[in-house]
Amino acid sequence: MDKVIEKNTKVPLLHEQKVKAPLLKRIKDEWKKNALVYIILIPILIHFLIFQVFPFVYSFFLTFLHYRIIGTSEFVGLQNWKQLFQDEIAWKSIWNTILFSFYYIVPTMAIGLILALVIKSGIRFTKFFKGIFFLPVVTSFVVVAGIWEWLFSGTESGFINYLLSFLGIDTQLFLSDSSQALIVLAGLSIFKVSGSTMIYYFAGLQSIPKDMYEAAKIDGASAFKQFWMITFPLLKPIHFYVLIITTIGSFQIFDSAFLLTNGGPNFSTSTIVYYLYTIGFTNLNFSYAAVLSYVLFVIILIVSLIQRKYFGNDQSIY
Amino acid sequence: MKKKSLWFIVLLFTFSIFIAGCSDDEKTTSKESKEDGKVDGEITVWVHPYTSDAKKEEDMWKEIVANYNKDFPDVKVNIETIPWANRDQKVLTALAANNGPDVFYAIPDQMPQYADAGMLLELDPYLKDSDLDGFVESSLVSTTWKGKKYGLPILQEAYTFFYNLDVVKAIGEDPSKLPTTWEEFEAWAAKAKEKDFYALSYAGGGSMNGTIYPWIWQAGGDVVTEDNKVLINSADSVKAFEMVNNLYKNKYIPEDSITASNQNELWFGGKIMAVLGSGIDITMLQKEGKFDFAIAPPLKDKKQLTYGTTGMFVVPSNSDNPDAAAEFVKAVTNTDNQRIFNTVTQYIPTQEAAKDIFASNEYMNQLSGYTQYALPGVIHPKGRAIMPFIQAEVQSMMAGEKTPKEAADAAAKKIEAELAKP
Repeated sequence: MDKVIEKNTKVPLLHEQKVKAPLLKRIKDEWKKNALVYIILIPILIHFLIFQVFPFVYSFFLTFLHYRIIGTSEFVGLQNWKQLFQDEIAWKSIWNTILFSFYYIVPTMAIGLILALVIKSGIRFTKFFKGIFFLPVVTSFVVVAGIWEWLFSGTESGFINYLLSFLGIDTQLFLSDSSQALIVLAGLSIFKVSGSTMIYYFAGLQSIPKDMYEAAKIDGASAFKQFWMITFPLLKPIHFYVLIITTIGSFQIFDSAFLLTNGGPNFSTSTIVYYLYTIGFTNLNFSYAAVLSYVLFVIILIVSLIQRKYFGNDQSIY
Repeated sequence: MKKKSLWFIVLLFTFSIFIAGCSDDEKTTSKESKEDGKVDGEITVWVHPYTSDAKKEEDMWKEIVANYNKDFPDVKVNIETIPWANRDQKVLTALAANNGPDVFYAIPDQMPQYADAGMLLELDPYLKDSDLDGFVESSLVSTTWKGKKYGLPILQEAYTFFYNLDVVKAIGEDPSKLPTTWEEFEAWAAKAKEKDFYALSYAGGGSMNGTIYPWIWQAGGDVVTEDNKVLINSADSVKAFEMVNNLYKNKYIPEDSITASNQNELWFGGKIMAVLGSGIDITMLQKEGKFDFAIAPPLKDKKQLTYGTTGMFVVPSNSDNPDAAAEFVKAVTNTDNQRIFNTVTQYIPTQEAAKDIFASNEYMNQLSGYTQYALPGVIHPKGRAIMPFIQAEVQSMMAGEKTPKEAADAAAKKIEAELAKP
C-alpha cells in the first residue's frame, strides 16, 4: 500500500520542483511545519557533526597527508594508500581479524541463546543465575583479561594446563603459541560478551507468544522440535541484531590483544584495530593509521550490507 | 526537496567546523614568541604516579615546586598526575590540540621520536656548561639527539640479575660468587633446570629492552645506529639470538616466555632462580619477604652492559611559556630536587652527588653503582616502530620456525624496510 501512495505523489512533486519557491521561503515553510522536530534534533545533530561527521571527514583528509602532530603537515597524495598494498602486517592483521570473527561470532550467539534458554526454562534461582551470567559483562575488561591470562598461563602451573594434565594432555602454550593465541583471545571475548547477548535473547524469548507453544504441545511436538520450529525462527530479528553487533564488535577487537599478547607471537594476534593503534600511537604515523581505519570502515560496511541483504530483509514475521 | 536542503545544512555545518578547526591553529602559533626576558606566568607539568603512594608524591611535588618558586616566584606551577596507561596517546592528543603540558616526563625511546618530529624544544640555549657537570655521563645519552639536548634526566635505572638465594642454595652454589659471564650463568642455569627450577624469567611479550637487547649489547652487537646502520644481524648480535634460543630450548626460561608479560607468579612462588630486575624489584621482594635475594653485577660477554631506562623532563615546542618551562626542567633535575624526588620514588638519581640518598640502603647503593653500564634502549626515532618486528622474529625463533641467524636476518630486513619509510 505504502508504495502505491508514494508513486502517486511523485508526479506532482517532480512538477513542483521546476517552479521552486525561493530558498528562504522553503526553509521558512519547513520550519513552520516541523519546528519542534528541529529544535529537539539540533543539539543531537551538532553533537553528531562535531564528534562523528567531522572526525570521519577529517580522517579521510588525513590519509593524503604526511601528518605532523606539531608543525605543518605536507600533502603526499596517495602514498599512504599505496603503502597499504605492500604492508604484509596490515594484511595479516586483517586476516587475523576475520579469523577472530569466525571464532567469536557464532559461539557468542550460541552461548548467549543457551544461557537465555537456561534462564527462561524456569529453573530455581533465575535471578541469581542471570546475575552470574551477566557478571563478566559489567566487570572491567582489564580484570577479566587478567583472570584469563592467569587461567591460560602457558606453563605447567597454569590453571588450565593443570586441569589438562589430569586428562593426560601435555602442557599447552596457549598465548605463546601462534596457532592457539587467537583462539584463546576469542574465548576471552566470548566469555566477556555472552552475557549481553543472553539479555537480548532473553528479551526476544519473552516476546514469543505462549499460545504457539501450547498449539505445538497439542500437536505433540517435542521440546527439541518446539525449539527448532518455533523459538529459533521467531528469534530472527534478534539473531540479526546480535549478529550485526557481534560482527562489528569482532572487527573492532583491540583490548585483548593489547592487554594479553601485544599482537604476538609473530603478529598472530595483531588485529586491524590493534595494528592501527600501534601505527598511530607507537609509530606516530597518524596518516597511515587513518588509511587503516578506512579499510576497517569499508570491511564493516560491506559485511553489514551483506548481512542486511541476506539476513535482515524480512522482519515482518511479527 | 526536503532532502536537499537538509544536505545543505549538513554541508554548511561541516564546513564551518572545518574552518573553526583551521582558524584555531593559526591563533595558537602566534603566541609562541614572548621576549620580555622575565620568567613568569603559568606552566603545567605532567608527571606520573611513580609510586603507589599518591599522598607522599603530592607532598614531594609541593616541595619541589616550592624550591623552584624560590628562584622564580612569579611562575604558577600546576602539577598534574597522569596515569601511566596510554600516556603516549594522552600526550600526543593534547599536544596536537595545542592544550598540552608545558613540561612532561619522557622516556628514552620517546625522546628521539618526538625530537625528530620537531615536537620538542631544544634546551641548549637555556643551559650553561656547568649546568651539566654533575650528571652521570650515561644518563645524558638518552637526552641528546643529533648533538642537541632536548631534556634533562631525573632518574635512572639499572637492570641486573636478582637471584633467589633459596634456589642458589638448592643447586649447591655459593651465593657470594654469583655468575658474571655468560658461561658461568649457563652453567648455573643447567644446574637449576636439573633441580626443576627455571633459571631466568623472560617476558617475551614485553619490551625488548628487558629481553633480548641486553644480550645483544653484552655480545658486542647493536640494533641500529643513529645514522641508520642496521647491526642486528651482525655476528655479535646473532650470538645473542642464539643465547635466547638456547635459554628457551633448554627450558631455562618458562614455556610461556614467547608472549608472557610477566612471570611474577613463578618468581615469587620460588620457581625461578633469577630475574632481570631493578629498584622496583627490591621494593617488591622486601615487601613480599618470601625469600632472601642477592644482586649480581650486569653480565659480561664481550662488554659489560645492561639496560636501564632514563627518565627525563622535556618541553614541547608548542609550550606557551618555554622560558619558565625550561627553567623548571633545570630546577627539577638539580641535585637537591633529585634527592627529594628519588628518595620518594626509589629510583637512582642522575646527579652523582644525589646518589648519597642510598648511603644506608645496601641494595640501592649497589644498584646505583651499575648505572654506568646502563644503556637506555635504542635511541632512534624509529626505535619503537622496529621493536614489534624484532619481537616477532624472536618469537618465531623461539617457536622453532626459524634459526637464530634466519630470525636476525629477517629482523634486519624488516628494520631496513621500516627505516626506508618516510
